[in-house]
Amino acid sequence: MKKIVSTGVKGGVGKSTFAILLGFKLSKEGKKVVLCDCDVECPNDHLILNKKLMKGKKIYQNYPVLDSKKCKKCGYCSENCRENAIFWVKDKEPFFIYDLCTGCGACWLSCPNKAIKTKKKSVGETYTNKINKNFWLFSGISKTGVSETGPIVRETKNRAIKFAEKKKADYIIFDTSPGMHCSVIQVLLNTDKVYSVTEPTPLGSHDLGLMLKLLQRLGIPGEIVLNKADVGKREMIEKIAKDFNTRITYSIPYSEKLVKAYCEKKLEKVVDLL
Amino acid sequence: MKIVVASGKGGVGKSMLASSLALLFKENRKVVVCDCDVDAPNTGLWLGVTKYDSVERVSTSYKATIDQNKCIGCEKCKEACAFFAVEKNDKYHINSMLCEGCGACEIVCPVGAITTRPVNNGEIRIRETRYGFTLVCAQLYPGETGSGKIVEELRKKAEGFSHEVMVLDSAAGIGCPVIASVRGCDYAVLITEPTPSGFSDLKRILEIVNHFKIPYGVVINKWDVNPKLSNKIEKWSKGKFLGKISYDKKVIYCIVSLKPVIFSDSKVVDEIKEIYDKINMRL
Repeated sequence: MKKIVSTGVKGGVGKSTFAILLGFKLSKEGKKVVLCDCDVECPNDHLILNKKLMKGKKIYQNYPVLDSKKCKKCGYCSENCRENAIFWVKDKEPFFIYDLCTGCGACWLSCPNKAIKTKKKSVGETYTNKINKNFWLFSGISKTGVSETGPIVRETKNRAIKFAEKKKADYIIFDTSPGMHCSVIQVLLNTDKVYSVTEPTPLGSHDLGLMLKLLQRLGIPGEIVLNKADVGKREMIEKIAKDFNTRITYSIPYSEKLVKAYCEKKLEKVVDLL
Repeated sequence: MKIVVASGKGGVGKSMLASSLALLFKENRKVVVCDCDVDAPNTGLWLGVTKYDSVERVSTSYKATIDQNKCIGCEKCKEACAFFAVEKNDKYHINSMLCEGCGACEIVCPVGAITTRPVNNGEIRIRETRYGFTLVCAQLYPGETGSGKIVEELRKKAEGFSHEVMVLDSAAGIGCPVIASVRGCDYAVLITEPTPSGFSDLKRILEIVNHFKIPYGVVINKWDVNPKLSNKIEKWSKGKFLGKISYDKKVIYCIVSLKPVIFSDSKVVDEIKEIYDKINMRL
């Protein structure tokens, strides 16, 4: 099974559109494809494919709970918390600021009196949808207010890979969030090929450069998808492609037909644009 | 007064609007601009800024390393790591791309083989723009973590410049860097586009803004690519609606030539000015 990623640092460049078009294209060629929406903060692939997220499977994370009877009010937990999520003043019990807690465990692992217990809470869910006879969608979503989304992305990716293996898929296509911090890096690790989607503007070229640099560091081959290819300056992207010794594999022109198909949730109609 | 521009979905016009609002506020007030998208800092480009007066490296994250000579292979660190950063080839090591620097491994290691050290994970860049206000932005180095904490540093830096209005340009999404950008602001301008994704992400970011009880207004960008859904979003926004901006290719020519939109002859200029007036009335 080939693991392909659609990513791009900049938002709104067409990561999801490309991932979906590629999914339709491969499935039309008779390949079995699973599309995994890893933008867990703002998952949209199901909307574009006109599907609902139903019967979710929960993702859990540990969080700390104080056992007041055992707590000696030493403040050691607060000292060890690098997220500044534990507020403590001398001779008082620590106070957990759950908005800032990432569930790393530094507090309960360091407590000399074993006064911090853990509880599980749901931080997100995963869902499956069937698009056509050999094309499936696997989506992950984070609970709003959860700040550390990297582990949710990781779990979504792992569950999607298991699902794809069960379906004997030929391809799994991961669609990432914008940016390039932990929630994107989680997706990129251990994949076969990454398409960096961009647009021919200074914004697009700036952000493409960042992604290609990151891919170089990770040692993953990266190719370029140029969206809205005819609106702006193509030379900018060609230059970066040359600098990083890669190529523009797909060019998608700006097309009102595509915008319409996107809004009407019928991207399969314009699969020929790829 | 802190005004944050946020959206959930990427590429809907946050930086375009934030840069335009900064230029409009500048006409009567002291302004500082804080680009909180440390993954892809682009506010500067919309202001024609490509060079910076000062660049300062920052360290807001830690990374753990294992001393192979001391490691006894007990796997306690591997069990403790919530981020699955401890990996085993023939020996145990920390995958620095996954390490969040929390120090849980260091705490549990019985033989003191693990140390966490601060790393330089990004840089803060400052530019005194030709428009008479300062732009403060940052770049997270590719492959590093800790973007939310860089945003916190950045905001502290921006506070240091005397101002009446701080315009913050948030990253896309609703995770840690976004929460760090939105928290403590006085007003949020939520911008979206009339697509099913844009609308859905608007509702997601609104949950964050409501969580922090921040007053907000809604702007629809490229409204005319889908007037039907645009109307629906406008109705849904009720009294919070600030205005809509047309799709105009002249905006793209502006960014290609690194010229602020507000100085162009695009029809969006008047639309943005109207939005600016409405924001002013609500502050």
